Amino acid sequence: MRKLKKIITMPVVTVAAFVLAAVLLLTSSIGGARAALTYYSETYAARVAMSSIGVTLNENGTAVSYRNYDEDGEWNQEAGDLLAGMLEEDTSVRLGKNYREELSVTNSGDISQYIRVSIFRYWTDADGNKNREISPDMIGLKLGGEDIAELEPATGWLTDKEAATQERTVLYYSKALAPGETTPFFADSLTIDGRVASKVTQTEEKKDGGTVITTEYDYDGYRFCLEARVDAVQEHNAQDAIYSAWGRRVSVDNGTLRLE
Amino acid sequence: MKYKNIFLAAAAGMLILSAGAGSAWAYFTTYTEAAGGYAIQLGSQSEVTETLDSWTKHVTVTNDASSGPVYVRAKAFSGGSYPLTYSDSDNRWTLGEEGYYYYSEILLAGEASGPLDIHIDGVPQKVKDGENFNVVVVYESTPVCYREDGTPYADWSMILDNGTTEGGVTE
Repeated sequence: MRKLKKIITMPVVTVAAFVLAAVLLLTSSIGGARAALTYYSETYAARVAMSSIGVTLNENGTAVSYRNYDEDGEWNQEAGDLLAGMLEEDTSVRLGKNYREELSVTNSGDISQYIRVSIFRYWTDADGNKNREISPDMIGLKLGGEDIAELEPATGWLTDKEAATQERTVLYYSKALAPGETTPFFADSLTIDGRVASKVTQTEEKKDGGTVITTEYDYDGYRFCLEARVDAVQEHNAQDAIYSAWGRRVSVDNGTLRLE
Repeated sequence: MKYKNIFLAAAAGMLILSAGAGSAWAYFTTYTEAAGGYAIQLGSQSEVTETLDSWTKHVTVTNDASSGPVYVRAKAFSGGSYPLTYSDSDNRWTLGEEGYYYYSEILLAGEASGPLDIHIDGVPQKVKDGENFNVVVVYESTPVCYREDGTPYADWSMILDNGTTEGGVTE
């Protein structure tokens, strides 16, 4: 016993015990750190898998374009053509006729989201250059007979007057769109106004013993163009997310979005 | 010491900026888009032709082969001494609003109307020296419009420029 006490009280032993204690302390800290890293790493991976966002634009019941974040971390996307089936019955566009054009948006991701739709309407001449003489109003995109630039909030869509121009109409869907859910239509018909044929040039000439008057339609061959862009942003923290992503101040009350 | 303070300030600035960038990219967003359109084919030409024989004008309207479908109407004016009588063999020209005769059929590309015969009454057998008269034919055409259900109709409020022809006798 005396010998053991003598050994314990030796300075070398005291120093060795201190070093050992320090090593044990450090080792235990490293173990804790590794455990923490493992824990957070798994949580992070799980969040990425759950938060895939995606949005799809539908025309007459068919998906025409979409952009979805898939499980592999890649964007799965396709940009289709609008109005591809418009002239199935007619050989050319009939002025004034209502063509079916039912447009809606589907949440094709895994998280709830808010939706913004921007519609562009304009004309190009025969050479493909944008023409501003013909009003975009001649391209009537309507919902229930009302132009989409004048939609009532009861439709579920809010018209952003501040962002509107003659060419552009911006709509916000007022509810959060759950995964797999589809919005009501924001348009259901397309009509080209007959007034585009009202601008003509006439020339007169004598011919074959009579008089010939030739009428030329100034806008013959002009092309009407319709573009739709759908933006989606996460529902979580929607006010800040919308302002950050789209630069628009909104308020969200019980899930209902309002434009500020 | 001076450089050290500048370095610290720059580092602080970078930290603040990077914090802001972090929050800007922290939201899940996506988008998709589609576009389409068609050229409108209004056609480019329609023609009215008139000939005169036996004091009768024969008015015919022809739609050019590259034109879209149109409706046409026509009427004529003369001096009070020479009343006009309208007729057509196919009964497709009908008197309607504003004194115009309306052709009942749509003229498709390349098609011509039947003739509208306008007879000038009261013309003397021999025109005296210095006597003259004119018969003016006014014609209008308008592209065919369609109701929402696709039914065709003519919108005469959407007037194309008037076409006017004159013809007569001057001695």
